Amino acid sequence: MGKFLDWAKNTFNRIRWKPHEDVSFASLFHTFQRILGLNNRILEIMSDMGTKLGGDYVFDRQYIISSCRQMAVLVYELIYNLNTLAPKKYLKLDDIYRDIARDIQEELAGRLVIPQADDVMSYDIITRDFSDVVGRKNANIAEIKNRLSVAVPEGFAITTRAFKSFFDYNGIQSKVDETLNAWENETITCNQASQKIQGLISSGSMTPQLNKAVERELKHLQDLTGTRDHFFAVRSSAMGEDGEHSFAGQYLSLLNQPQQNLLKCYKDVLASTYSPSVMEYRRQKDFSEHEVAMAVACQYMIDAKVSGVLYTLDPMNPTREEMVISSTWGLGAPIVSGKVNADRFMVSRESPYNIKSLDIVRKTERFVAKECGGCEFRPVNEEMQMQMSLTDHRIRELAEVCLMIERYFKCPQDIEWSIDQEGRLYILQARPLNIKADVAPVVCDISSITEQYPVLFSGKGVIVQNGIASGKVFVVGNDGDLDKFPNGGILVAKETSPRFAKIARKASGIITDVGSPTGHMATISREFRIPTIVKTGIATKILRPGQEITIDAAENVIYEGKIKELCYYGFMEDNFEESYEYRLLRRVLKKITPLNLLDPHDKDFVPLACKTYHDITRFVHEKAVEELINLNYHHRSDAETAGKKLKSDLPLDLIIMDIGGGMKETVDHSTISQDQILSLPMSAFLTGLNTPGAWSREPMSVDFGSFMSSLTRTFSTHQVSPINVGQNLAVISAEYANLSLRLGYHFNMIDAYIGDKINDNYAFFRFLGGVTDPIRRSRRAKFINEVLIQNDFNVEIRGDLVVGRIKKLSPQLMERKMLLLGQLVAFTRQLDVQMSSDQQILKFLSKFEQLTRENETITILGRETS
Amino acid sequence: MSDEEKTSILILDDEAIVLKRLRPALEKAGYEVETFVRSSDASSRITERQFDIVITDLKMEGLDGMQFLTQVKERFPKTEVIVITGFATMDTVKESFQKGVLDFLAKPFKLGEILETVKKAETKIKQADDS
Repeated sequence: MGKFLDWAKNTFNRIRWKPHEDVSFASLFHTFQRILGLNNRILEIMSDMGTKLGGDYVFDRQYIISSCRQMAVLVYELIYNLNTLAPKKYLKLDDIYRDIARDIQEELAGRLVIPQADDVMSYDIITRDFSDVVGRKNANIAEIKNRLSVAVPEGFAITTRAFKSFFDYNGIQSKVDETLNAWENETITCNQASQKIQGLISSGSMTPQLNKAVERELKHLQDLTGTRDHFFAVRSSAMGEDGEHSFAGQYLSLLNQPQQNLLKCYKDVLASTYSPSVMEYRRQKDFSEHEVAMAVACQYMIDAKVSGVLYTLDPMNPTREEMVISSTWGLGAPIVSGKVNADRFMVSRESPYNIKSLDIVRKTERFVAKECGGCEFRPVNEEMQMQMSLTDHRIRELAEVCLMIERYFKCPQDIEWSIDQEGRLYILQARPLNIKADVAPVVCDISSITEQYPVLFSGKGVIVQNGIASGKVFVVGNDGDLDKFPNGGILVAKETSPRFAKIARKASGIITDVGSPTGHMATISREFRIPTIVKTGIATKILRPGQEITIDAAENVIYEGKIKELCYYGFMEDNFEESYEYRLLRRVLKKITPLNLLDPHDKDFVPLACKTYHDITRFVHEKAVEELINLNYHHRSDAETAGKKLKSDLPLDLIIMDIGGGMKETVDHSTISQDQILSLPMSAFLTGLNTPGAWSREPMSVDFGSFMSSLTRTFSTHQVSPINVGQNLAVISAEYANLSLRLGYHFNMIDAYIGDKINDNYAFFRFLGGVTDPIRRSRRAKFINEVLIQNDFNVEIRGDLVVGRIKKLSPQLMERKMLLLGQLVAFTRQLDVQMSSDQQILKFLSKFEQLTRENETITILGRETS
Repeated sequence: MSDEEKTSILILDDEAIVLKRLRPALEKAGYEVETFVRSSDASSRITERQFDIVITDLKMEGLDGMQFLTQVKERFPKTEVIVITGFATMDTVKESFQKGVLDFLAKPFKLGEILETVKKAETKIKQADDS
């Protein structure tokens, strides 16, 4: 890609920049259109790449490389075009672009780009995509905390980068390599090699960066919890551990360590990377020694009353559909190492998680944390020795949480947990339970098993997230229903809705009648990895509430009944989402899709704040619009396209410029009326804007708070860009309209093309800003969001920025959408002032619906539209 | 059902992820699947047994997919070949079809698409057997 960048740079540099005094408006507008075109193309590829994460597609590394390359060309070209429009004004963008491109290139070359380049990462910012950096154990526990909102001990990870730095800082890497070679050549024994390497590690000193980073993290934790002097569990979280190969019990875990001991413990855990048994294990499993990198988990110690281990599926009898819980008083470590007898509960995997059988043992000792650090065994009171260590209620709670974790990781889990003295349940770690060998005989011939089950429907709709799940159908109608959604249920609904996010942790599958594979629902499904099929057309008609079904969102089939074998089959499959290619795609997308630049009025809306291609794309788009408005309105040098003011009853100071076939020829050079406009999208939009009842004419009663807020807002808007306030502009042609509207202090940007080729048709709508306080503004954004979603737009919403996109509809339907945008712009003009409560959103939604219904037969350019 | 009755499929792709995804999907649909990441291994495997269907990438290191599918078709004209590739030019498409390739799928593709194509191949094989 380096070569490619050079090529792109040279090519673009050969075309000389021209200052725009020499250039006609038509050609500037051409550049502007080019920017819009590139903008669309970039967003398309972005969404394309995102779609690949759902699991329905087979893609390879080559796809990731070529998509990134394509994206890089387009973004570069985008910047080039902005530079043409505004020569030398945004040169910083080039540097930002180069940095992002370089990071992506590094990722593609297999070199990890660690954000915040840290030796230490707090659990708050860890996701599974960092598993190479923090190890699987840390990554899993952080996912459980951040995604599933399950309580885990507060803590942080010391990364594999710190491990490498430690080796570099102490100059021991070459000595370790020598020793390993000697072992390889059998000149020394494993024990000798181990001893030598562990000695090197123990005598090494900590890097100053790590010292500092750990201190910072401890401070952060203290601020978070409000308490000081904590004790920690320090555990290994090596690369490759807790994944395909468990390395169970191979590395060191140190419990109840005072925080001043942390760095010493860290070294001990590092040294355990080179214990003789681990070295042998690695050799047997064919791990190369240079793949070795140890990350470490530092977690607050839980003062445990009861602890234990839960297997979400009994590996000995997988078809019995039972979970196994082992539990004892105090800490759970002795259960894991097999040093104590523990109570054993076999529990149904089905709600309400009844106990199938139990075995209560005499628990004479409990392992507890000592006040001064470390742990010891203490005797258990006589009366508690034969007492059940878990109540029914606790078992249910535990089962529910652990099955949720299984659903999320899509594989039976081996989970360590503790309940503290206050009765709070904590998950300490979760790793996949390796049951492949145990369930293989059950699923030997899956195709003949599935043949025995009635197919309810197949091949309908679009797979959004791959996977297999069984469960009971729960049909969702209105908002209230969601509160009753059962754990493990399969959500069936007419439409997708962002409010389904609420039950994402509970649902084992989602099926809808309509919906888009790139909408909000898709994002949520992917985030929580819920097998999801949308747009089936018939789900709510065929599936009955309470019906037990199996959804195979790999083959796109819905079966009646629970096909255990199919679910087991899902368990057996290698989890492709953890494959290198998926991780790579997710990592490069982090440099591409997140949008950090929101408010163009913000002082941080500058090139330097761009962190992703999406940011650059948005920045360029915004600035291109701004540049064009300035050029058109203030330097109206080009007579041919000089704007005409729209004659309108509405207080809309709109200048329209025609770049080809958008208006009738008129004698009047300064004004134009609506019936003289030939542009399809423009005409439809204006019709919408003029819909009776849409444009609220009564003055708003603004309460004092909003009024004050409006003053500040006005002031700051003036400060930023006084030249643009109150100025409305449309650039049109026969098929095209680009509108920049400032109504009050809200900025609407609409860009639409409606022609005969359906594939070229699109409408883009962007809304931002408002007079009142942020909450009211965001209520209005929610309102707009809902309206757009109901009208099949793809919508992105961030605070009070709403971006809606729709494309590839017939000209008639596109006109209808433009009409709707017109109505929406008129209707929402002052709405934020009235958005005094969340209920108002619903009220205005129904008001708006009524308005659109009443005007269904409205005409555009003299034709009926519906 | 015993393995003898199942339709056999050989898949060759130098990117392991493709095999990792295709194998379980096809096995689940009731096919018997062997996968190869190196064309030389696949090439020597077809000297040992006949497959009903071969799915191959085109652009790989060493022996390329075009050569491999040529070998397959020469040896077993009845074997149906499906090409999966990220770089399809008109020339390679044309050449593949001339060599008797049944279908051409551009990567990335959906699992449903490859299953459909495989079913198509299966139907064609059955028809040939019947007649």
